[in-house]
Amino acid sequence: MHTDSQAAIDTATVLRPSRDIRYRRIDGEAVVVRQKAAEVLVMNEVAARLLDLADGRSSVGAWIDVLAGEYEVDRETLERDVLTFAAELAAEGMLEIADGV
Amino acid sequence: MGFEQILQKTWRDNILFSVLVELTYRCNLDCFFCYNDVGLRGEPLSTEQYFAFFSELRDLQVLNLTLSGGEPLAHPDFFLLGARARELGFVVRVKSNGHALRGAALRRLRDEVDPFLVEVSLHGATAATHDRQTRVPGSFERLLANLREALELGLRIRINSTLTAWNEDEVEGMLDLAGSLGLPLQIDPEVTPRDDGDREPLSISPSRSGMARMFTLQAARARALAGPLTVAKGADDGTLPAAVEKHCGAGSAGVAVDPYGNVYPCVQWRRPVGNLHQQSIGEIWTTSAGLREVRALTTQAKGLVDSYGPAGALMSFCPGSAVVRDGDPLRVYPDALRRMEVLGEVVGAEADGERRAILPIVP
Repeated sequence: MHTDSQAAIDTATVLRPSRDIRYRRIDGEAVVVRQKAAEVLVMNEVAARLLDLADGRSSVGAWIDVLAGEYEVDRETLERDVLTFAAELAAEGMLEIADGV
Repeated sequence: MGFEQILQKTWRDNILFSVLVELTYRCNLDCFFCYNDVGLRGEPLSTEQYFAFFSELRDLQVLNLTLSGGEPLAHPDFFLLGARARELGFVVRVKSNGHALRGAALRRLRDEVDPFLVEVSLHGATAATHDRQTRVPGSFERLLANLREALELGLRIRINSTLTAWNEDEVEGMLDLAGSLGLPLQIDPEVTPRDDGDREPLSISPSRSGMARMFTLQAARARALAGPLTVAKGADDGTLPAAVEKHCGAGSAGVAVDPYGNVYPCVQWRRPVGNLHQQSIGEIWTTSAGLREVRALTTQAKGLVDSYGPAGALMSFCPGSAVVRDGDPLRVYPDALRRMEVLGEVVGAEADGERRAILPIVP
């Protein structure tokens, strides 16, 4: 599936956790509650890290800078993976584009 | 790891996950069997202290925050506190009697606090019974009007009730009432003493036959709705019990805090393990000797309940309730035994044949 959210996300995009979700980190993973759906999800460490980085201020490009220091992977691959994953999280309603940025 | 494994981890590794905050003991109703120790005195936590407390809970990765009382909306800064809780990303639950949940207050609750769930109390299927318990004439009709308004606004509501000698003949009506509103109704079959040990509420404990009738009605409705019969046992914050070596998450995954900053292992286990005026929650959580003892007791409590075999789970034994009754968290009190017996009879009758295999079910 390819949505508008996916199409709109690039390294300049600023994202934040969707207002509908609540999440916390437990032992590296993210426990995510979708409030409207009353649904609980457990997301892996990478997703949890992206939720942490999505502070509504930093661009996706800035996330990539941070993650480049954490993962041993070439930058091109990292950028592609982060953009893909961010788009998936946005499509799933976990992340949304921050207003006024 | 799935959510169940996460919950197990919080219980096993003492990860604070759920906190219940009694913001005030003030209340706009006067329920006969209210368990709050309204005679308790101390320095109430200030709004700034609550803000700092909530921030620390967020840093500790606490997910569930329940705002309770008394009547939490009676706290003068309820909306400020609720909005801060929302801003800090908690899954917020509000336990209210529902009396003030209308008009502007209701809209502010939705828009500023955005709770995951609002739990309200129903004490009967008729105004006579409900108002007898609340000791406020008109509270029943007002509650029903407020519930309808809350539903129109899109709030998620659950009705809580306690089975008593006064309402045990109205359970069917209460279930019908909740059903007509499209709301879940959770009935606790156990009246408890007050937190100060006052046993007066026990004078309206339900009869054995009343309890049996309630379980039978619930079983019949569950069968009609969902097929397999289940015996649910949920924690106070809505999370489910975890299959670990502890009986409950009291002091292991959750705590309760009274308006004066006293910290307890849970809302029912009123043994202070620290005070927020003197220590941060992080310090209390990691250094309290009382909490260490409580964690050990919950392990022993599991052994105690398991010694009754599969039926032990039907007791809904609560170490905190045992303390307030007899001073001993490891003494099974008569009401728990009666519940096990009565529920066992009802569920056992339902469990003939294929249903037997699913007992006891702890979803």
